[in-house]
Amino acid sequence: MSKPLSKLYFDPYLFFSIAFVCILGLFFLYSASNTDLAIVTKQGVYVVVGLFLMLLISQAEPDFFRRISIRFYLLSTALIILTAFIGPEINGAQRWVRIGYISFQSSELFKIALPIFLAAFLCDKKLPIRGRDVLITLFIIAASFLLVARQPDLGTALIILFSGVFVLFLSGLSWSFIGAAFAAFIISSPFLWSLFLQPFQRQRIATLFNPESDPFGAGWNIIQSKIAIGSGGLFGKGFGMGSQTQLNFLPETKTDFIFSVIGEEFGFVGVLFLLSIYLFILMRCFYLALNARDRFCRLVIGGLSLTFAANLLINLSMVIGLLPVVGMPLPFISRGGSSLLSLFFAFGIIISMGTHKKFLPQ
Amino acid sequence: MIFEERQLEKNNFTVRAIILFAMVAIVFAMILVRVFSLQISSYTEYELAALNNKNYSVPVQALRGEIYDRNGNALVSNNPTFDLIAEPHLIEDPIIFLAKISEIIALSNIEQANFLKLYLQKASLNKELVIKKSLTQQEIARFKVRSFAFNNMFIGKRYRRVSKHPELFAHALGYTSRSDATNQSLSDIPKNHWRDAEFIYANGFIEGRTGLEETYNSFLQGVHGKRILEINAKGRLLQSLNFTPPLRGSDLHTSLDLDAQKTAAKMLGARKGGVVAMDLVTGGINVLFSSPTYSINKLANGLSVDEFKELLEDINKPFFNRAVQGRYPPASTIKPAIGMFGLAQGLIDWKYSIDDPGYFVLPDDGRVYRGWKKGGHGNVNLQKALLISSNTYFFTLAYRSDMSDLSDHLSKFGFGKKACLDCFDEDPIFLPSPDWKLTNLNASWFTGDTVNVGVGQGFALATPMQLANYASLLANKGRFFKPSLVPFSQDDQQLQIWEDQNFSAFDWNQMHTALTDVVESDLGTGRRLKSLKNFKVAAKTGTAELVSLDSKEAYEDVRGNIANRDHAIIVAFGPMPNPRYAVSVVIENGESGGVVAGPVAIEVLKSLINE
Repeated sequence: MSKPLSKLYFDPYLFFSIAFVCILGLFFLYSASNTDLAIVTKQGVYVVVGLFLMLLISQAEPDFFRRISIRFYLLSTALIILTAFIGPEINGAQRWVRIGYISFQSSELFKIALPIFLAAFLCDKKLPIRGRDVLITLFIIAASFLLVARQPDLGTALIILFSGVFVLFLSGLSWSFIGAAFAAFIISSPFLWSLFLQPFQRQRIATLFNPESDPFGAGWNIIQSKIAIGSGGLFGKGFGMGSQTQLNFLPETKTDFIFSVIGEEFGFVGVLFLLSIYLFILMRCFYLALNARDRFCRLVIGGLSLTFAANLLINLSMVIGLLPVVGMPLPFISRGGSSLLSLFFAFGIIISMGTHKKFLPQ
Repeated sequence: MIFEERQLEKNNFTVRAIILFAMVAIVFAMILVRVFSLQISSYTEYELAALNNKNYSVPVQALRGEIYDRNGNALVSNNPTFDLIAEPHLIEDPIIFLAKISEIIALSNIEQANFLKLYLQKASLNKELVIKKSLTQQEIARFKVRSFAFNNMFIGKRYRRVSKHPELFAHALGYTSRSDATNQSLSDIPKNHWRDAEFIYANGFIEGRTGLEETYNSFLQGVHGKRILEINAKGRLLQSLNFTPPLRGSDLHTSLDLDAQKTAAKMLGARKGGVVAMDLVTGGINVLFSSPTYSINKLANGLSVDEFKELLEDINKPFFNRAVQGRYPPASTIKPAIGMFGLAQGLIDWKYSIDDPGYFVLPDDGRVYRGWKKGGHGNVNLQKALLISSNTYFFTLAYRSDMSDLSDHLSKFGFGKKACLDCFDEDPIFLPSPDWKLTNLNASWFTGDTVNVGVGQGFALATPMQLANYASLLANKGRFFKPSLVPFSQDDQQLQIWEDQNFSAFDWNQMHTALTDVVESDLGTGRRLKSLKNFKVAAKTGTAELVSLDSKEAYEDVRGNIANRDHAIIVAFGPMPNPRYAVSVVIENGESGGVVAGPVAIEVLKSLINE
């Protein structure tokens, strides 16, 4: 099978909307970093490199990803395990791995590798999927989750869990199994609470429901974030004018809490505008998933775009106080090369899967 | 896979994708609702919270009003001192900085250590740091010529509250000291911001503790201003957003008289006692002096713990304000009041006389009450009894009196209640009466108790303030103003007119004549005072017994211990016949009212009248 070399696999809707969010993100970052141009420039380089990476990856044939999926998954797993041994400990967590001059969060690759691997594993299974295959899939998901959760990085681990479960669900998991699993989760949740959550993670969940109980400790971030967003009002305080942001009352303005900066300085109108772009990106992914050429592509597009949605929604829920504080950046906007490049990587794959069509219909 | 199977799989995928994307849409909607509630519904609440985060309000201290005497002499003022103040955030190297200052202004080890200890913290918060307090004129001059070299340092003016006469007016004016008490004009400023206040006094917030400083504290202190600063999350001060200037406190113009007060202090010397003098026209207190005294400047501007302890434990009790708190038997000075009671009740008239053998025998139990002169004064009427201070006459009169009626009568003269309108912590003492004795001592009243009250002993007690008030009432013939240190406006002045109609103008004139004779005639107990002045004075002397004795010989035995000696008392007013000032003097263990307390009263009157 051959394809014309002249053809460029490109989705203008996704490409330009993502590029637009990234450019807006650079402006937000400029304000959130107290006008630190060095940070913005570095992030800008990542954005440009990322857009090219996305374009490049989207040229690859979908079956290429299917062929390498198991090697890709094993490589990611190896990096995670490597991180546990050689990764530097930062704030009590080992999340980073350094290879040569490049250091990145190894779990970022995992977020992509797992859904592709599961999609490849499940895409030729007959409906309904047999119990044995379901169990294998669940085992892989659980193992992946635990590997990341013990770093500890509950936020990313949850995303990985979601990414696996999304693929499993989309691939045709039987409804009776879903019902049974849901019931089991509800029953076992108290054990999960005490077994898997670190004390600081439990503290964060407790704080969510009553942030004022600990206004200067764990509750501080949530309280200050809500004040920042709430005081933005309808039109916001203006670019670079947010007192919560500029006077450092808001924590982590460049990373997890950058949405609060946007809410404070651009108000409800700015928030609506930004969220509508995100919504547009998701709708386009939904469209591509429904119109993809085969089951594998459908599962990968669905899995990756829903993982992106989970990432986005968890960050938003966290900064407005609907979820406990878990480390989770705002996609395409928060500072950080690893998460940005992995997002471009994921969307490159989505575009590849969405734009490649089979030449020989059966 | 066959085509149908593929189609089935695709439909299955579509249904499930719709379910998941719909869930995403629902969460999206929840987030939007939440953001709407934060930014639109609860906007005002969060806007206020954001302002409270960054706005840091601090008080700006107001300058306290000054206190003057009736001639405009400053009694308490605000004296500027100059402090060397650094702005640590502009200093690069604290060690080099200190070395550079030391070239022009010597710093003690404590000052250097203090600077180094606070330097980093103050620098990070953008706050000022006082390096050295109370610079000398030379130090200020040396700094000023080199100030161009120090952009991180300046000289700040701070005040100290000082009196030119720190000991003379200690009890009348009282003192101020550091305060943290909640202050009404600062109620909207959180308490933990107080340490960052802009102080105008070198010792921070001050508050009147005693005397006029306490009584008129809110009048003197003014209204503190407010500055709103912008701070960041670390508490660093960034800029001033709003400034409400303070309102300087009002000055207090008192009726005190510097010269008369000086005279009282000089005349009392090292002796313990109290002097109060009043202006009969206004009720203003011209002299309020208690001896021994202490320095209010020291108390207001820092006293070591040892020095304070020493003052507190001094057996002569310098803090004790004898003028308004000292409880002394009025002794014979009460006799004019007792005499007037007899007249009012019709028990005696001016002609009524008794034979004074030098003692009085209580008919009930045969107990003997002695006079001061062995052998007595012979035949005495009221006028003579006042002149020579016959105890027997007043024993006899008191014996015939109903104690409840006599109590009411003494109350009209101001005994048993606070006399002064604005004195600090005045002791009202109590009115001797059967009810009082039953309640407080759980004992019934004896006729002998009444007989003692008749000569101002026993349960009769008064402060120098009450005695001066009593003297002014006698001088003004029952018409008097409530004494006060700060003259009240005409409307507020509490004019009191004694409502007892049983006194005729004749009785009052007779009383004035009798009391003038105490000093001006050759027989009076105050006759030695006659030559000390060039105007006529009315007076009544008293000698308060501390130990109850039967004879003069017994007294000679106990007077070896100074603390057992009688108190010398006098109430006086003049110039007669139209008196303008009244005065009372009590000298503890002074023994003779006429000889010891008398000259003090005369000199104070002279100082007031001859001005």
